[in-house]
Amino acid sequence: MANVTEAADPHPSAHGDHGDAHAHAHPSFLAHHFDTPAQQYNAAKLGMWVFIATEILMFGGLFCAYAIWRGLEPDIFDQAHHFLNKIMGATNTVVLLFSSLTAALAVRSSQLGKRTETSVYLVVTILCACVFLVVKYFEYTHKMHLGLLPGHCFGHPWFSGAIENGKEVGTCLRVHADGPAGSPLWVRAVDESGHVRVLPPRANMFFALYFVMTGLHAVHVLIGMSILGWCLYRNMKGQFSKEYFTAVDLGALYWHLVDLVWIYLFPLLYLVGKPE
Amino acid sequence: MSTENDHHAHDADDGAVHSHISSVQFYVGIFLGLVCLTILTVKVSYYDFGPANIIVALLIATMKAGLVATFFMHLAHDKLFNTLAFISAFLFLSVFIMLTNDDLGRRAQVDWVYGGTVDPRTGLAAPGGMPATSATIDDVEGEAPGNDKAGPKEPKGEAPKGEKKE
Repeated sequence: MANVTEAADPHPSAHGDHGDAHAHAHPSFLAHHFDTPAQQYNAAKLGMWVFIATEILMFGGLFCAYAIWRGLEPDIFDQAHHFLNKIMGATNTVVLLFSSLTAALAVRSSQLGKRTETSVYLVVTILCACVFLVVKYFEYTHKMHLGLLPGHCFGHPWFSGAIENGKEVGTCLRVHADGPAGSPLWVRAVDESGHVRVLPPRANMFFALYFVMTGLHAVHVLIGMSILGWCLYRNMKGQFSKEYFTAVDLGALYWHLVDLVWIYLFPLLYLVGKPE
Repeated sequence: MSTENDHHAHDADDGAVHSHISSVQFYVGIFLGLVCLTILTVKVSYYDFGPANIIVALLIATMKAGLVATFFMHLAHDKLFNTLAFISAFLFLSVFIMLTNDDLGRRAQVDWVYGGTVDPRTGLAAPGGMPATSATIDDVEGEAPGNDKAGPKEPKGEAPKGEKKE
């Protein structure tokens, strides 16, 4: 516990005692406005954690929308979530958790100064990210094929021009055979457990949230991949050492954030609802 | 005056980065714990706990998130202030969700028959109002096509949102 209290202390090192306590000169990785590598490292980490907080708040807007719409329409969320494949979602969860493990191990080996090992772990992490996106691609295309994409079947008048009045086009159904163009459309489709379900027009909220939340998450996966790729490049050029591994550490923190968001997205979208 | 940048007191402060390094076995153990919790959350989703479904799912998710943040993200061995920055995000998020929820509970609805916005609980004019789109009206007109379970309903005509001049 003593460590924790100690860690809470702010830096008292602003008085520039640089040079007397540490005999070594400014290393090349140390920016001139920092006294010590540790000060630079701690400042970078704090900045990353503040950034992570803002990322949580950005996703927070969507989680808030989820909470509100779920509170308003629990039955529709219950029905619509059967269109998400639990097994694919769980597979992706394990893939992301494994990539988080390899990211943590990449930080560990770069802390120990093992360059090749760090590269291997970073490559595995990026490959896991690719696997995640491939699974996501199959999930997305299947849902688009069913017509669950917001706007296609779900009653937005400016999208329904392609649908013939009174006729079933694809999986979109019109409520009244003689209804005017632009009236809400129902979607009839086979869900993941093989049941035919007819979703009311309001189910678009669930799928809109699904696509936007997982879509924003997928964008973060792409960004995380590029950050880890950049770390890999720098690591292969030999820019990291036992003394300086900040970029790998912060890149891994970003990757863990991607994992954290998915840890909540998976149960909220795939698992919540009445089992059959 | 000594600078206390190093939060591990294992050697004298030389200004270098001394971070805690856990063993590979430890990280693998955390990963296996996370996988077990993932399997658990999928398994329990096949049981119905009624309204507690979401609480069970969120509890397990929070345990997983706790493991990731504490050990993979090194919060256990990091400066406490970083944890504070992280936790504060959830604090602000809960304030955001609670205020939004409160606003929604006090909001009036658009009265399509008489116009204006009316609080459905009091019947009096009130500020705010969500327009009755297909996503908010209580009944979607008509019955589900091809859905035998839904009984026949009296057609009520189109919601004003859906009207279109032809």
